Amino acid sequence: MRAGPSQEEVRRHNLGTLLRYVHVHGATSRAELTSRLGLNRSTIGALTTELSGAGLVSEETPRETGRAGRPSLVVRPQSARVYAYAISIEVDRLRAARVGLGGRILDRRETERPRGMPFEDAIRPLAGFVREMRKAVPDDARYVGSGLAVAGMVRRADGMVRLAPTIGWVEEPVGEVLGAELGDIGMLTVGNHADVSALVEHSRGAAVGLDNVIYLYGDVGVGSGIIAGGRRVTGHGGYGGEVGHMVVNPQGRPCSCGSRGCWETEIGEYALLKHAGREADSGREAVLNVVEAAMRGDSQAQRAVRHVGDWLGFGVGNLANIFNPEAVIFGGTLRDIYLVAAAQIRSRLNAIALPVCREHIRLRTPELGNDAALIGAAELAFEHLLADPLLS
Amino acid sequence: MAATPLLELRGVNKSFGPVQVLHDVGLDVYPGEVTALVGDNGAGKSTMVKCIAGIYTIDAGTVTYEGRKVAIHSPRDASALGIEVVYQDLALCDNLDIVQNMFLGREKMSGVVLDEPTMEQMAGDTLAGLSVRTVKSLRQLVASLSGGQRQTVAIAKAVLWNSKVVILDEPTAALGVAQTAQVLELVRRLADNGLGVVLISHNMNDVFAVSDRIAALYLGRMAAQVKATDVTHSQVVELITAGRSGNLGLPSESSNGNGYADITPSGDER
Repeated sequence: MRAGPSQEEVRRHNLGTLLRYVHVHGATSRAELTSRLGLNRSTIGALTTELSGAGLVSEETPRETGRAGRPSLVVRPQSARVYAYAISIEVDRLRAARVGLGGRILDRRETERPRGMPFEDAIRPLAGFVREMRKAVPDDARYVGSGLAVAGMVRRADGMVRLAPTIGWVEEPVGEVLGAELGDIGMLTVGNHADVSALVEHSRGAAVGLDNVIYLYGDVGVGSGIIAGGRRVTGHGGYGGEVGHMVVNPQGRPCSCGSRGCWETEIGEYALLKHAGREADSGREAVLNVVEAAMRGDSQAQRAVRHVGDWLGFGVGNLANIFNPEAVIFGGTLRDIYLVAAAQIRSRLNAIALPVCREHIRLRTPELGNDAALIGAAELAFEHLLADPLLS
Repeated sequence: MAATPLLELRGVNKSFGPVQVLHDVGLDVYPGEVTALVGDNGAGKSTMVKCIAGIYTIDAGTVTYEGRKVAIHSPRDASALGIEVVYQDLALCDNLDIVQNMFLGREKMSGVVLDEPTMEQMAGDTLAGLSVRTVKSLRQLVASLSGGQRQTVAIAKAVLWNSKVVILDEPTAALGVAQTAQVLELVRRLADNGLGVVLISHNMNDVFAVSDRIAALYLGRMAAQVKATDVTHSQVVELITAGRSGNLGLPSESSNGNGYADITPSGDER
């Protein structure tokens, strides 16, 4: 039998809990921390002193509260001094950011990614961004690690991109090569784009306080991050949540993954543009143009949006039956499609989802928009710090 | 999904001379939810809102607010209770800035002078609480704002007074695509922050995008108040245009006898 946790373990755990609280919720008074974390005042005092000694948080007296008594000190994360690099590889763009503790984006770079760009060509600009941003880092700042989010199926252990159909990569050692290119970058943690976005919407966005959430991200394809019972559902190898490849129409069109009739062949960018008669276009702008045309009364664009909305409701209905989520969040271009096709989506969802599975479902748009992927990638790096704040 | 409504109307009647506009209308507004009020032109939506806002007094019926029966005789009564209305024309003054507009007629005083710092602080906090990032300066004249930003300011003005019920009359009419999206997200956020929101809209996508309940008025009668998770687009359209859909809505006109058969919902185009 194992003995209970030692005093030292309890202390480390409490330090992590406190730091995580201010990391997620922002500046918080000591008094509030006391009640939120269920620790007594002197413990909170000792923990914050220790964290501020390590340069992770700062404490200050708040503005006049107008109430009697000495105001409680406000503990805030040292966003400007403790940071991680976040890198995001998406279908149409490559992004990098320097993200401070507390999820604040301090600096960012972005470039377009032409469709069909091989992975070797994508590494160089990303590594360049990080080197550029490094020049502006103050000397006393503390680097905690880097996170990489990829819009595809990526192996967590080493960042090997196993399959990214929409990007067009198969078995490419992205993590390894990026790490080598960056040199002394230290720990590089990788994750799926939609997964990390879901995590951020759950911790500080549209799904705060909800433990069963499906985050859908649409561009060319459709990815998802699923949170069930408060935990991310990623599957055995971390490749789960590929709802875009749920077959909804066996007689449908061939998919980039090699199968036929996947959900993304009905609701992805190509489907929308094809129905709108704009097959020559591509990219996010083209999708938004169809949405705009539909709102302005273009009947073909309206038909396209309704068609996609109908299929979108079809898939969401299936997911609702399987996961019974409290919220479904429509991210990427699906946000814009949701807002103009909500009638179709809701109608189809209500028609096929079981009453008990759909009665409390909230359909929402993301609160953090496209920043979620960057903050989420940084979150992967911060995770190590939060697990043990005084390490290293 | 609270069990008790914040605002409850029962058996409300309103006539203008010989014309009866509202017949025994009921409505429930729940905290944390968006209730969409839909209906054709002339169905009585605006009259109903004006009855709640105290611009018209009701002829018969009861209004229950937070479990208490209340009488609303004037807009001041309504705002004292915590009911605010954002009308379609927004009622903002172009020649005043955002803070001045938000506090118009209810300015904070510090002795005999206006307490500008407090008002600016409160206005800023309200906009931040609604995650509004599109407004650059609080001292911008309203004349310089876009349609979506004006709508945002008008909504923030309604929220500023710790109001509990906010009624929005066609907030997305005449807005562009991006601004419509932002206003819809703002409407949803109001409810997610715990307010009871009533949304009047003719756009079914707007209604389905943000509402939890849909109340359909038909020729001055409440055809049905349904949950958005229980109905389809075509059912709502039928409630609006015919007052009934399948077993939802008003009973069929008995005066017709066996004049015509029931129109099934699946029959017409979707």
